Amino acid sequence: MENKRQNMFEIFRGFIAIAIAILVAFILIVICADDPGKALECLLIRPIISNGALNVKSIFTILARMTPIIFTGLAVCVMFSANQFNLGGEGAVMLGGFIAALIAIYLPMATGVHALVAILAGTIVGGLVMIVPAVIKVKLKASEMVCSLMMNYVIMFTILHFLNNVFPDRSKGATQTYPFLETALIPKMVPNTELAWGFVAAIIATILVAFFMYRTRWGYSIRMIGINESFSKYSGMKVGGIIILSQVIGGMLAGMGGAIEMLGRYNTFLWKDLPGYGWTGITVAILAKNNPVMIPLAALFISYLNRGCELMSIYAGVPAEMIDIIQAVIFLFFAAEHFLSGTRQKIVVKDAKEEMQKKELATAGEGGNA
Amino acid sequence: MFEQLIDMIFSASFGYSIIRITSPILFAALAAVVAEKAGVVNIGLEGTMMISALFGVLFAYWTNSWIIGVIGATAIGILVAMIMAIFALKLKTDIILAGIAVNLLGGGGTVFLLYLFTGLKGNTASLTTPNMLTPKVDIPIIQNIPVIGQIFSGHSILTYVAFLLVILVWIMLYKTAMGLRIRAVGENSHAADSVGVSVLRTQYVALAISGALAGLGGAYMSMYYSQSWNIGIVAGRGFIALAAQAMGQGEPVGAMLSSLLFGFASALGNKMEGMQGFSSYLVASIPYAVTIIGLVIYAMSTLKKVKRFKDNDK
Repeated sequence: MENKRQNMFEIFRGFIAIAIAILVAFILIVICADDPGKALECLLIRPIISNGALNVKSIFTILARMTPIIFTGLAVCVMFSANQFNLGGEGAVMLGGFIAALIAIYLPMATGVHALVAILAGTIVGGLVMIVPAVIKVKLKASEMVCSLMMNYVIMFTILHFLNNVFPDRSKGATQTYPFLETALIPKMVPNTELAWGFVAAIIATILVAFFMYRTRWGYSIRMIGINESFSKYSGMKVGGIIILSQVIGGMLAGMGGAIEMLGRYNTFLWKDLPGYGWTGITVAILAKNNPVMIPLAALFISYLNRGCELMSIYAGVPAEMIDIIQAVIFLFFAAEHFLSGTRQKIVVKDAKEEMQKKELATAGEGGNA
Repeated sequence: MFEQLIDMIFSASFGYSIIRITSPILFAALAAVVAEKAGVVNIGLEGTMMISALFGVLFAYWTNSWIIGVIGATAIGILVAMIMAIFALKLKTDIILAGIAVNLLGGGGTVFLLYLFTGLKGNTASLTTPNMLTPKVDIPIIQNIPVIGQIFSGHSILTYVAFLLVILVWIMLYKTAMGLRIRAVGENSHAADSVGVSVLRTQYVALAISGALAGLGGAYMSMYYSQSWNIGIVAGRGFIALAAQAMGQGEPVGAMLSSLLFGFASALGNKMEGMQGFSSYLVASIPYAVTIIGLVIYAMSTLKKVKRFKDNDK
């Protein structure tokens, strides 16, 4: 019961962090927009309501854009839970998307099976590349962070090589592959919107990851290693194996996200840069406090803001990149353990005092009975 | 084809481009060294360089002076590092997350800031005037020596600052009280604390130095290397610098040598791009791949050392 108040405080603190970020956004908008009122309306209201009516199409877009960042958010969640700062999500997403694209173009299969095989391949390859930083970390004690960062670039340039020199569709003006076979496309949930069935896959993945993290031995080990690696080691866990496992699962989730995004949203591969979902996934995981169940909610929030910033850049001339400033501010305050620590201290002290009083009363009562 | 390659590697212009490409990485690698010595992982170098690169150009544009631009970039580097430090050290945001936040600011935030200050979108090429670029320096005597002069003379003044800073950072770390405190805090913060060293203050100072160095790296990029600021200007150099720090065993001279290795790999890539039979994209990935290989080799050698040490103990 005492914890309830502290939980409430955590939620309150999160809201303050978000409020500060929105406030920063307001200030920036007021400084730089010609019509701040309109810009704010675009940022906050227009994503769901435009011209007094529900903006249905935009709402579906918001949901659709959640799909990849739910996957990367989950990936980061699993990896960071084991205290592994693997930042290779970016590369795994791009590679997963690329492998899925190749299968979608060159391996004809039956409808349904085709998409599943392509996604599965993207997933496996995403997991495989993460073995590199994970094993280097476990066997050689080299930083998985630096290694995974470098790997992102190696993956990107390698994909660009294949895109430009091996698989390009030269009949098109832009650099892209041949179109995917119809059989490989993930069908839309709602016709004429961006929302594909990949969204459902993301929600299922969320449930599975939550189950894995909180209801299985491996999930428990991952969280335990994150909390105290030495303790885990001395209590007999195979720390090395679990650390590798967490990163491989992270890579698989990211690869799956890339594959699903690719087949659900595009009909040809045309990414020319790292897609950025890996980094957004970190923001999502931070917002969700590494709790898989909260990931979709955090993804919704980021997706909403993203859409708002996009509309703001279209209708009010404020650069869409403002989303990065908002994200950075949320990021900093949300992850700040000592932010508002004075208030928390007071709550803890108050709780403790109340508890002591209760105990005193109880012992006094017992004393009276005796 | 290989003959052509060998000829190229032993040409003076190749040596010149290695030094030119190494300079910004060296600044950032030194930044990583100082932070790491104080026990702080400064993953925000990438973003710090981006932000400093932008403000370097802006300050230089506003004052029409490259000196003020460089000073401004350095000051902004320190400012960014201090924001990071306040969150990481005072409010206890995980330092890696604080660094990632800085990188977010550096990535998209700079585009927004550029628009805010100038109304430009994406790059500052239209602002550049010759006065804003850091000047090239010809070193007397050396410039007249064949080959050596062509390699070592005629670089940006900041390049010479970078290599000079290797020595200065080394002196700072090993010959000053501040350096001793920084190393003590990084080695064992509790022990340092117990003998009266203020851990927090030392880490603030280390991060400030780190920010200043990254700021200089940013200034080099926008006020010399690319001659203007654009969104892709830093392109992972801040991350490469972290790798250079790790490969260089966290020492200034080691970091310089690994930075030169990246410079070499990049310069090689640049030259190979023009040749037949090489994919420019695969070549562009060489410096990053070299980094991973370098990390592995370094980690293996460290492990062996530790093992030998343990065996000797028995």
